[in-house]
Amino acid sequence: MSLEILSPVSGKATAMTEVPDPVFAQAMVGPGIAVLPSGGRQDAVAPVDGTVVTLHPHAFVVATEDGRGVLVHLGIDTVKQKGEGFTLHVVKGEAVRAGQPVVGWDPDAVKAAGYSPIVPVVALDAKAEVLSGLPTGGDVEAGDPIFTWDS
Amino acid sequence: MADDRAEKILAGLGGAENVIEVEGCITRLRCELEDMSLLDEAALKAAGAMGVVRMGAGVQVIVGPEADNIASDIEDLL
Repeated sequence: MSLEILSPVSGKATAMTEVPDPVFAQAMVGPGIAVLPSGGRQDAVAPVDGTVVTLHPHAFVVATEDGRGVLVHLGIDTVKQKGEGFTLHVVKGEAVRAGQPVVGWDPDAVKAAGYSPIVPVVALDAKAEVLSGLPTGGDVEAGDPIFTWDS
Repeated sequence: MADDRAEKILAGLGGAENVIEVEGCITRLRCELEDMSLLDEAALKAAGAMGVVRMGAGVQVIVGPEADNIASDIEDLL
């Protein structure tokens, strides 16, 4: 089944290889695309319909009904911020719709704290060849489709 | 199954006495070790790690989104 993945944030679509973290850049947990957020405080939205199976202030995973997990990581090394500046709009285990606000955060504050605010969107455990339509360099709005995951 | 994995990962980190701190992040275990030379990357990969990234005095063991659960299992073993 073809699964459309929405951008969790507004910004510039960027190749995962440009993410300043080897785990994401080398697709160790899966392939995908990153979005360099534009602007300040905003809500990161769910990339797919599903259940929030993992939830940290700075990152979350939404799993679809057929068991595919999409990871959204808000900035790099932002675990060190201990949740400061991040506002959770959902709880772990909650069902969400694609486009629904999940976490409020401020990419500008992340940048000011010395971290990259880039947002990797990862198709967990997927093989790169099942993803398509990965544009990079273009501007996307939160909720815009950024790639398709065929199973 | 996760318990078994925690034990194997802990062994790959050089055992409980070698671990100063383990913190579960969303995709990885961030570990601070007493002696980095006791790190056994092959054992960690055999235990299911997708990658092992050395960072200064620490090491990140990439285990995917179950990192949190594995980290708490490891903490129980420390």
